[in-house]
Amino acid sequence: MASLETRYALRSVRRNARRTLLSVLGIGIGCALALYMESMNRGRDELFARVGATSGSGHVRVVPAGWRARRDTRLRLADGQADLQMARSVPGVAAAAPRARAQVLLAMGTHVVPVEMAGVDAAVEPRAYRFAQKVSRGRYLEPGERGAVVVGKATADRLRSDLDDEIVGTAVGRSGSIESAMFRIVGIVETGSDEIDLSVCQVALEDVEELTGLVGAGEVAVVLDDWRSTEAARARLAPGLARGDEAMTWSELNPEFQGHLEQDKATSRFASGVILLIVLLGVASAQLAAVLERRREFAVLSALGMGAWRMVRLVFAEAVALGLAGAAVGLALGLPFVWRFATHGLDFRRWMGSSYSFQGVIFEPILYGDLGPWVVGYALGVGVGATLLASLHPAWFAARTDPAAALRLAP
Amino acid sequence: MAEPGTSSGFRLALALALAFPLVASAAPAPPPVDALLQHLDDLYRSNSSIARIEIAVVNPRTSRTMRLKAWTRGEEEVLVLVEGPARDAGTATLRVGQNLWNYLPRIGRTIRVPPAMMLGSWMGTDFTNDDLVKESSLRKDFASRVERRSESPPGWWLTLEVKPGVVGRWARIEILVSDDRLPVEERHFDRKGRLARTMTFDEVKVLGGRRIPSRLTLVPTDAQGQRTEMRYFDVRFDAAVPGETFSLSRLERGP
Amino acid sequence: MSLTTTRIAWRNLWRNPRRTWLALAAIGLSLALVFVYDGILRAYGDWMLETITGPMLGHAQAHAPGWRKDRAMDETLRDASRAVEAVRRDPGVAGASARVYAPALAALGQEGFGVMVLGLDTPAEGGPSGLLASAKEPPSGQRVLMGRPLAEVMGVHEGDVVALVGQGADGSLANDLFTVAGLVETPVDLVNRQGVLMDLGTAQELFAMPGEAHEIVVHARDPDRAKEVAARLAGIPELRGAEVLDWKTLAPEMVALVDLVQVAWVFVLVLVFAAAAAGVANTMVMATFERSRELGMLLALGTGPGRIVRMVVAEALVLGAAGVLVGVALGGGIVAVTHSAGLDFQALTGRGPSELSFAGMRWSLVLYPRLAFADVARGAAAVLATTLFASAWPAARAARLEPSQALRS
Repeated sequence: MASLETRYALRSVRRNARRTLLSVLGIGIGCALALYMESMNRGRDELFARVGATSGSGHVRVVPAGWRARRDTRLRLADGQADLQMARSVPGVAAAAPRARAQVLLAMGTHVVPVEMAGVDAAVEPRAYRFAQKVSRGRYLEPGERGAVVVGKATADRLRSDLDDEIVGTAVGRSGSIESAMFRIVGIVETGSDEIDLSVCQVALEDVEELTGLVGAGEVAVVLDDWRSTEAARARLAPGLARGDEAMTWSELNPEFQGHLEQDKATSRFASGVILLIVLLGVASAQLAAVLERRREFAVLSALGMGAWRMVRLVFAEAVALGLAGAAVGLALGLPFVWRFATHGLDFRRWMGSSYSFQGVIFEPILYGDLGPWVVGYALGVGVGATLLASLHPAWFAARTDPAAALRLAP
Repeated sequence: MAEPGTSSGFRLALALALAFPLVASAAPAPPPVDALLQHLDDLYRSNSSIARIEIAVVNPRTSRTMRLKAWTRGEEEVLVLVEGPARDAGTATLRVGQNLWNYLPRIGRTIRVPPAMMLGSWMGTDFTNDDLVKESSLRKDFASRVERRSESPPGWWLTLEVKPGVVGRWARIEILVSDDRLPVEERHFDRKGRLARTMTFDEVKVLGGRRIPSRLTLVPTDAQGQRTEMRYFDVRFDAAVPGETFSLSRLERGP
Repeated sequence: MSLTTTRIAWRNLWRNPRRTWLALAAIGLSLALVFVYDGILRAYGDWMLETITGPMLGHAQAHAPGWRKDRAMDETLRDASRAVEAVRRDPGVAGASARVYAPALAALGQEGFGVMVLGLDTPAEGGPSGLLASAKEPPSGQRVLMGRPLAEVMGVHEGDVVALVGQGADGSLANDLFTVAGLVETPVDLVNRQGVLMDLGTAQELFAMPGEAHEIVVHARDPDRAKEVAARLAGIPELRGAEVLDWKTLAPEMVALVDLVQVAWVFVLVLVFAAAAAGVANTMVMATFERSRELGMLLALGTGPGRIVRMVVAEALVLGAAGVLVGVALGGGIVAVTHSAGLDFQALTGRGPSELSFAGMRWSLVLYPRLAFADVARGAAAVLATTLFASAWPAARAARLEPSQALRS
């Protein structure tokens, strides 16, 4: 850009301090709001991933061959131990929890409840399965503990059972025989939802091995530090697995969730667009208002011989200067809020319906914003982009100013 | 939504093997309890048998009755043919070892029942698979003693407490045995010590050369107005049952 | 404000048409955009509710009292068709249909597989919110549909004949042969993995429950009113003794998720408002400050400062009102148009339409924006207030200056 325009622009910006201040403030506030909004949008994705992953499926799950099609609880990994080691060796893995499942009939007297029993490693499971941390009564399994079970409240109710009761678990053994074992209820989980309660039934992995006659884990649930690395983690994990075993992502495990996420993303993009339009509109109109009053100034410049093209560049130069300053202000204003949002999150419990009495058991209604290097680019984009776009009409307008006509008009 | 792995799915239980219920027999007078239990264990058992049975299931909403003919050999082979009601007549169930098949005459198909569906109640009755398939032995799994004398009917109450380490639903079973060594009543207590169900034996007849109660009634304590009744009409113990009775081809041809 | 003042204000505004048009545009467009966002917010809430409740759950369900717990075949609703008709007559009900749920054994050859037979009211479930929405041919008579994953596991193809065996409501052994007319993918994963879809009448006959059903699923006209509708339906004579519950009671775990997302989006609405207000304020402040010379001239001519401020405020009021009208017309118009046509978001997901069939299920990405009167009132009020304050303040400042200073700025 030619130095004359730049110098004039800068001086003009300095000369009318109030107008400049107003402009920069306006742009800055718009930027800050847009930043917060974007942070929130990205944060919503995180919430979905978190809900999906910590309710048991993990971000990535290692499953045996054929499980994708059949979802048969009797399938077992080709080499669960090796897969587990492999999973733990992948960087970014927060926890890898092995499990073995079985269709079991629980019984107390004449009361029976069919459940899907999960044999787990009690030392690791709490990090992959949130209900392990949300035992309402009693306690969770101890590592190495045998013959103990943690069930959902609805299950315990249907069995007319309570803590410390001994129940019988019956399953189909290896060769089709019927096998049974005793389990003592050590913990009860209450989620507020019968359906989810009935899905909670955890025992030691060895107990399931004994009951079913099937050795080893049927799955390994992998929880990642950063949910966004799901695909990458899967790509690293897959080649190192035992033959036949494959790695599925949480969105593949919950297809209904996936569609939901897609729609959410799409709508978020649209909403972002609307927000940006609003910001753009605000900036543009303010800038235009500013320029309208400078017709005399432009007329004088034109009379002094400044060409149309140079005037346009002048306006653009001012816009860029303002935009940069505005983006800086936007970052300064917005970053503290976004930072707080990202670290502490927004706790929505206060605003949610009072019927949400089991807060935090199924998932925590805390939305964490996203914070990353993207903020700088975003602020700049919004700030400078908005002002440049906003200055298109004023630039054209300034260029067309007929000096004589403008000078004759009262300002 | 219920999955087949739920109570309704299990309860479907299309024909489990009808191994005869093992009933403890009480010893008369404060007699050797052990021998008495052995007698009860063997009361309905034999190497092979052919029997005609009627089963009635009553609950507050409906009641239904099935008439069956059953062949058994050893502990592993059972064939059950439904003779009534008319709409279900001709349906047959075959159990050989751990495998179970159903033959449905109306559609001319034989279907194997997946093991997972065998876990629940049998044919919607109050009998469970444990009752019918498992070889639970009162003698082996319970520590027994004579509790007290009963005047009417004259007999003895036995108390059986489950031995530690035994896997089963009942913590305690109380049996009333008449003086002629026949079971009269059996009370099953769950693992919390609550009375879960009561079994009564009556209508003593001579069947197949043995004097046995021909009617068994099972009443769960918790369920209102619900009970299952099983009646033997005739039984031939140690009858000559050819091995080929327990084959799929025989199943389809009809006995 | 008297009519004269209004007329004067209006004329003043048009003395500087460019500035006025600009301000009008700023106010009107900002407001319109807020309305558009609001409309989308509501549409998203509706969509989310529909997806989350889905064809399986509906908005409310009726059952025989013990059925949800025991799933016993004989715990049925008697005279289901009369009950459905009565339900449909309720003004708050958009649709209702009866269902039969029967666990059964299915076999192509000799191997039996545990399945769930669903008896469905084919015309009702064939609608967009029904389970049969994606089925090419509805089940009828001896022709049934099977979930595609289930068929794959069983090795069943279209046209195969399978045996279905179950327990009738009267305890009898229900068994018959059926032709698999087609394989389906419903939005419900469980139905796909274990479901055999049959026409209601056939299911009632097979399972010896003539005229009976296990469940009546109800779709309400206004999903937000589901609870009321359920309570009302519980009282009708045809459903006496039945348990009628709304979806929130049936699936409480869903409530939390729906609530959370709704709250999050409303939070964003606040941001949107703030952005719009900021934009309008910025514009008005800028514009008013830029009039300092004009105002200074008036001051020099003897107009009192109070009068100046009042004049500016009067203009702002008229301007604001006009702007609000523009915003309402424009925003309302856009929402109305997109409501009837529907907004299709497929392009915005960044993936082609074919990729949006996840696991063979079509995800409807069409939203139908709508506005409530409260939204419009709220938006208009906020923008009007902003306009007023954003003009009054700078005018007051300018009016307090010495005329010479004002003239020079």
